[in-house]
Parts: sequence; structure tokens; C-alpha cells
Amino acid sequence: MNSALFVTFFIAGLAFALSMLVAAMIKLVYYTVRFFTAIKEPKS
Amino acid sequence: MSGHDVLSLFQGIQTLVEAPPVITVARIGFMVLGMFLVYLGKKGVLEPLLMVPMGLGMSAVNAGVLVLDNGKAGTLFLDPLVTDQEHLFSLLQIDFLQPIYTLMFSNGLIACFVFMGIGVLLDVGYVLARPFLSMFLAICAELGTVAVFPIAVALGFSYNDAASVAMIGCADGPMVLYTSLMLSKDLFVPIGVVAYLYLGLTYGGYPYLIKFLVPAKLRALPMVEKKVLVVTSAEKLAFAVVGCTVLCLLFPVAAPLFFSLFLGVAVREAGLHYFVDFIGGPLLYGATLFLGLILGVLCEAATILSPKVLLLLILGMVALLLSGIGGIVGGYLVYFFGGRKFNPVIGIAGVSCVPTTAKVAQKSVSEVAPNVVILPVALGANISGVITSAILTGIYVTIIPHLIK
Repeated sequence: MNSALFVTFFIAGLAFALSMLVAAMIKLVYYTVRFFTAIKEPKS
Repeated sequence: MSGHDVLSLFQGIQTLVEAPPVITVARIGFMVLGMFLVYLGKKGVLEPLLMVPMGLGMSAVNAGVLVLDNGKAGTLFLDPLVTDQEHLFSLLQIDFLQPIYTLMFSNGLIACFVFMGIGVLLDVGYVLARPFLSMFLAICAELGTVAVFPIAVALGFSYNDAASVAMIGCADGPMVLYTSLMLSKDLFVPIGVVAYLYLGLTYGGYPYLIKFLVPAKLRALPMVEKKVLVVTSAEKLAFAVVGCTVLCLLFPVAAPLFFSLFLGVAVREAGLHYFVDFIGGPLLYGATLFLGLILGVLCEAATILSPKVLLLLILGMVALLLSGIGGIVGGYLVYFFGGRKFNPVIGIAGVSCVPTTAKVAQKSVSEVAPNVVILPVALGANISGVITSAILTGIYVTIIPHLIK
């Protein structure tokens, strides 16, 4: 049972870390695409 | 002509009479339950697209039991427990749903088709607008998916079975099917059926949970948008491509699911209208029809009767309840730490039953404040819920087999 609890906390921590990683990746992709779009289409 | 000979003319009745009393009662119970599911589907209480084929399949398979060549009772629908290759090959030519079960269901292809369809329907722009908020709410709404795992282990389930049962908490049918197919082949029939039955309960049960946990004053809290972020289709497509690649890299075991989901998103954002029409129409609805049908047909009394089924019913309910509570707690955390301007009801939309929970959240808010709109933020959390469910599927499917080695 103790090992199951340890596994649970490990899984919860890993899931949280990966979710935040995905969120950071979303931001990174968003700003990267924005950056290149801005270079390609300069504001008039 | 003796009574036995007369009965042998009607083998459905003969097998019902001659079977052990438990099986007889269970078969009659499933026939009635199947009819009831069709009724609930027609009434709109449960999802009709799934419940009508599932209910009809459940009634038909429990009625249509006959005596097979080997003298045992069975059906001409399918045999999910066959392992011998030679026997499987002959069954493929006899049982009319066996080809679909073997070639599309037991390898997760139907779940992937459904995921492609969900991907086509998703607008990831809602997630891209507020990624950290959406992902935080979604991971909070996975409380049941994580917390039920040790509970199930304490109740005597193996790690594999406990992980499969816990996945019911993510309220995402294809994910539950995929995890149980990968981890616990013996229990995937009852787990799949329980998961899909309970998905309908999110419609009925969650509004009461919201009313119980969030006072009307907070439910009526308006969302103040600082500025609406415009997300182009190029940005959404880039996210789909990078997201799919990174997640497949991290969790190769769940790569088919990630790929299917992001393929749908990519096709939509690339503007491939013919593919969008095909995946979002015939493929999605065809897969849903056969998914419901196979799930119903798998509910044959002799297959599904297991002492663990009652426990599965209870654990499934606990998992979904905890996930709903976790989502609302996440909403409260954002409310308290975000300057008390955030409507905590949005948290429940993190439960990834797209788009049901987002709609439930909006409906609960509209009841007390008809002019308050939370749907865009709720949809962001809702779509993030699909991603966090896929992440947890990947974690369970990857890590659990290593733990029991």
C-alpha cells in the first residue's frame, strides 16, 4: 500500500510537471510563429 | 416430442432455462438493462449516439445465446476471450462482429478513429489563448484519475487493473479503453462498459456537484477579459505538429492516441476540408456506431459477470466524483490566488468530456446569471483536459508495466 501511495505521488508530480511543460511549449510555439509571421508580414 | 426437443427448437430459451441460475438472472437483467439504455438514449438522458446501439446490442447478445458445435453455450456475435489463433481464424468466418472486434477494437483502432474525430472538432485556439491556466485547471480535474489508483490497490486490484480503473476519472472513453486494453485485458470489457455508462452521468450529476460546492454568488461571477488573444490557424497548426512530436517522444506507448488527436487538429487547421468532412462525419460517426455496438455486444452475461464488477461500478463513480471536485478546487485556487475575479465553476470543465463539461459549467452559470459567459475559458480547460488525460494515459501505460517487473 505504501508503495502504491509513493507511485501515486510520483505519477501526480510527473503529470503536473508534464502539463506545465506542454503549457510552456504552447507559449513557445505561439511566440515563435508570431515572430516569424511578423518578419514575413511587416506592419505598414 | 419431449419438452427438451421442443426447447431445442428455441435455443435462446433452452440456454436460458438450462444455464446456472446466476447466468439466467444476469441474462434477463442485461436484456432489460439494454432496453432501458435505448430508452434513456432516446430521452436524451444518456448519449444517444452510443446508448442506442449499445443497449440494442446488449439485449440482442443476451437473448441470442445458442448451443454451439462443442456443446457449450455461445453467440454468433463475437468471442472476446478467444486466444488460440486457429480458433480465432475460424471465428472470423463465423461470428459476424469478430472481424471488427479483432481488427478494429482490440487493437484500439476504433478509439483512435474517435480521437481523430474529436481532434477535428477541437479548436485549440482556446488553449493557446491561456495555456497555463487551462492546463492547471485540467490537471486539477484529474484528481480522480490519480487518487483512485491507491484506493483500487488497497481494495485488492493489481497495479495494472488499478490504473485502468483509475482512468475512468478522466471521463474520456477512448483513453479508458486504450489503457485497459494495454494494461488489463481481462477487465477491459467491464471497465469499458462502466466508463461509457458513467460518461452520461457527467450530464446529470455534475450540475448538482457544482451547486453543492459553489455558492450562487460565486457562480454568477462575471469573467473580465483583459484582451482577447487572436490565434491564427498557422499558430494552431504549429502547436499541433510540435505538441504531437514532443508527446510521442515522451510517451511512445501512447503515440497512436496522440497522433490521432493531433492529426485531427492538423487537418482542421491546414484547411483540408475534404479530410475534415470525412473524419468529422463518416469516420467519427461510423466509429461511434461500432464502438457502441461492440460495447453492447461485449455485455454478454457469461463474459461480464465478475466479482470485481460491483467494485468497478463503485470505483468508477468515486473517480468521476473526485475529478469533478478536483476541478472545482482548481477553480477555487485560481479564484483565491488570481484576485477573486475568476469564476470557480470553470474548473469542472477541466474534466475532459469534450464538450459536455464545458456546456455543463456554462449552463450552471447561466441559471443564476444569464448574461455571464464563461464558455471560451471553459472550452480551453476542457480541451486541455484531453491533453492531460493523454499525458496520464501515457504515464500509466509506460510506468506501470515497469513497476510490476
